[in-house]
Amino acid sequence: MRSIAEIRRRSISTMMFVLCAAGAALIVSLLLLVSGYLVWIGISSLSWEFLTAVPTGDVSNPGGMRHAIDGTIILVALASAVGVPVGVLAGVYLSEYSSEHVATGTLRFVADVLTGVPSIVVGILGYELVVVPVSRMTQSAVSFSGYAGAAALAFIMIPIVARTTEEMLRLVPRTYREGSLALGATRAQTIFRVVLPGAFGGIATGVMLAMGRIAGETAPLLFTALGSRLLTHNPAEPFPSLTLQIYTYATGPYPEQKRLAWAGLLVLLALLFVVNLSIRIVASRHARTRVGA
Amino acid sequence: MTTGSATTVMPPTSGTSRGSKGSGASSVQGGWRLGDAVLGLACRGSAALLALMLIALIGVLLHSAWPAIKQFGPGFLVSSEWRANEIERPLRDAAGAVVIRDGEVVTETLAPAFGALPVIWGTAVSSLIALVVAVPISLGAAIFLVRVAPKLRIAGAASFLIEFLAAVPSLAFGVWALFVLAPFFQEHIGPWLLRTFGEVHALRWMFYEKVTVAGRTIERPIALTGRDLLSGSLILAIMILPIITSVSRDVLRTVPRAQIEGTLALGATWWQSCMAMLRYGRSGLLGAIMLGLARAAGETMAVTMVIGNNNQISPSPFAPAQTMASVLANEFGEATEGLHRAALLYIALILLAMSLVFNVIARRLVVGRAARSPGS
Amino acid sequence: MPATPFMTQPPAIPKPSEPPLVEMPARKRPVVGIGGAGGGQSGQYPIIEAIKRGETPEPRRHESVMSAKHILDIQNFQLWYGHSKALHGVTLPIADGKITSIIGPSGCGKSTLLRSVNRLNDLVDGVRTAGSISLKGEDIYARGVDVISLRKRLGMVFQKPNPFPMSIFENVVYALRISGERKRRVLEEACEKALRQAALWDEVKDRLKSSAMGLSGGQQQRLCIARSIVCEPEVLLLDEPCSALDPIATLRIEELILEIGQRYTVLIVTHNMQQAARVSDYTAFMYLGRLVEYGRTADIFQLPRLRETEDYVTGRFG
Repeated sequence: MRSIAEIRRRSISTMMFVLCAAGAALIVSLLLLVSGYLVWIGISSLSWEFLTAVPTGDVSNPGGMRHAIDGTIILVALASAVGVPVGVLAGVYLSEYSSEHVATGTLRFVADVLTGVPSIVVGILGYELVVVPVSRMTQSAVSFSGYAGAAALAFIMIPIVARTTEEMLRLVPRTYREGSLALGATRAQTIFRVVLPGAFGGIATGVMLAMGRIAGETAPLLFTALGSRLLTHNPAEPFPSLTLQIYTYATGPYPEQKRLAWAGLLVLLALLFVVNLSIRIVASRHARTRVGA
Repeated sequence: MTTGSATTVMPPTSGTSRGSKGSGASSVQGGWRLGDAVLGLACRGSAALLALMLIALIGVLLHSAWPAIKQFGPGFLVSSEWRANEIERPLRDAAGAVVIRDGEVVTETLAPAFGALPVIWGTAVSSLIALVVAVPISLGAAIFLVRVAPKLRIAGAASFLIEFLAAVPSLAFGVWALFVLAPFFQEHIGPWLLRTFGEVHALRWMFYEKVTVAGRTIERPIALTGRDLLSGSLILAIMILPIITSVSRDVLRTVPRAQIEGTLALGATWWQSCMAMLRYGRSGLLGAIMLGLARAAGETMAVTMVIGNNNQISPSPFAPAQTMASVLANEFGEATEGLHRAALLYIALILLAMSLVFNVIARRLVVGRAARSPGS
Repeated sequence: MPATPFMTQPPAIPKPSEPPLVEMPARKRPVVGIGGAGGGQSGQYPIIEAIKRGETPEPRRHESVMSAKHILDIQNFQLWYGHSKALHGVTLPIADGKITSIIGPSGCGKSTLLRSVNRLNDLVDGVRTAGSISLKGEDIYARGVDVISLRKRLGMVFQKPNPFPMSIFENVVYALRISGERKRRVLEEACEKALRQAALWDEVKDRLKSSAMGLSGGQQQRLCIARSIVCEPEVLLLDEPCSALDPIATLRIEELILEIGQRYTVLIVTHNMQQAARVSDYTAFMYLGRLVEYGRTADIFQLPRLRETEDYVTGRFG
């Protein structure tokens, strides 16, 4: 004989099981809903012209987003050129110079704090710290520029790369370092020949993740790069980016431009999907070589 | 052939072989000594840059917001006025009638005024609604990922999808919400809600707002446009689902097997053993929720696109609102006048302080839990 | 069939093809006095050799244990983890109201067998079973068996103490709480009774509300025993309950097992042969997923029928 309490706890369990499964299903279906919609509308707006043409200025036939695609690539490249080396070196410091534990402890905390800064605040900092002083120096009105945008993106990137690098380096067994140092290698030799190669896959994953993250950022660019409808490769000018152009088109009044916004999002998402997928592959290959070797 | 033990034996072997490669470069040992110094300098410099970044962030914001801080002080936090420009309007007496003197309407001039209460309200309410919606779903999904998905051999695929969802830029959610969620709400859900609940007296505050026009307070229906506090909150909920889910999944994974088996061996049901898992990982789960909260509070683009952008405090979830992040995105570009920009920077400072506090607490909770759990 | 991993076996077994030149004189020496070195010479341990070849030789079950009254009947039980077979047709009836211990080297499947009795192996991915285990005549692997009620009839204590992160009181009454028992008096009485039976009452009666995580390892393990007897199970399963404890705490748990054994049927898995000899009425010796010999503890340790068993319990082999 089963008591009421017994029946009750069993039915609660069944119910909660169904709810948990429903939660997972809901998240997955949300992703499919959002991305499905995006692919559905985006693909119909996507054309060769979209990838190669620049804005025409004609709202009924707005041209393409070549300028914005180039802009995003250049911005991410510029930000990474600064952000990756600085981030990796800072990560090396946090992990390998742990004897200076007061400093590393504080700086680790600082890096954590920096990863939590809202991206719009980073954009405003870029405006106040780069755009305003440069305008004052050049005596021009307001000098929004690709450099300012890249600086804001690098600001977001550095702490992320630093923390992932540190975590990946910590996974390299201590015996590697001791083995190398015992053979008379210097600290720099040990770091460059043993520690960094040992964590290469993990660091590469972290860097790619950070690049994907900044490629999708809009808010830090609003008041720094500003956006542009011209095809420009000169970062000293107001600079276009895919995200800024999508935002402008999507919130604007013209239907043809809205279609372009969808297509732009599709390109952006496809890019991020490829990045994420390759991260998975790199990470799993990395895991295999580390364990199986 | 063998499991466990062989893999722990291998790395030192390969480590030694790599180490011997390092010693092969001993002919340039002198150069490497210099290398040590250079590397040390570069690493310390880069790390110092981190500190410099934080100092610059706080210093610049404080400096630029100073005029507003000086003028409004802490009262900024509780004031709800937001006038970017001077306003001239007819002066009214106590009864609400326009004062006329010498046959002319007397006017009063209102100086620009700024208060952060509406945007703090908007941020708090939208983040809370988002949490209320997202936390149960996320925790359920995390439990599913840890307890059920591995058995169905879909854990890898499901985790990849959720991590990809986390990598989708907020702009994509914004565009989707603007073009799909908001119109759907406007055309279908809104009218249905109004038909069903519009005349229920207890819910009147949801559908009607009181406004003071020309000295008289009237009640008028809120237009259900789908670009309101509720839409903003829902899109926030969608955006924080993946982060809460993936962090909670990692926390739940660290719950020792013995805990789960211990409850099951005592005759616990599936859900009761899940409850034991949740209890064991409670501080880490709290951290996951705090991370979600921090993200919701700082989220900009998606919210800006659907929240309606109106600096007001309305009890109704269907009224347009404004968050700290969205007011910055909307007004900072146009804020040419000094005090207006300083006020916006003041808001940026509050936003920064808030998300930093949430983030730091969250990290302490998650990392603290992981450090205490055995085996790590 | 590929050799099952068996890592803790120290002496390497000479391959049959190698010329046994060096080994020849050793084989002629009497068994007693060889020490561990004589390990696995072919021909010395026919049953072990057969098991290593993948066969399942008929185990020696003493009449003394087969004729006792059985509460738990394990019949030709087999278990696979994915493709590797962990248990090969184990037949092991457990005597009612007695303490039975299962001994054997690590990896011999004794813990797997124990976890099969309350179906905890169901949780492990890719587990298949064949044969039957019956509790008081009911097959627990039959279709439609209610696993939750089954587990309530079987108490289990794990290798490492696993108190839940709550108060001592809540830990002890957990099994009652999850069944919906709310009456304060019932819970308090059950808690005191279980803690007294687990010889923990005097140590913790003043701090029932404090966290169980603050107890020492031995106290935690006694708490886990109290927790598993609060519902008065029909069989108590102990999975190497002392392996994580120091010698003094181990001694206390062993005393406790002897005392509890007067009220409950106890099935204990241990790799510590002295422990088996001290606490149990019956002992089963397992090797590579097979039962080798099973009888009264006194017989197994003093008059084993197999040379393998004798050398194992005296520490000459394994």
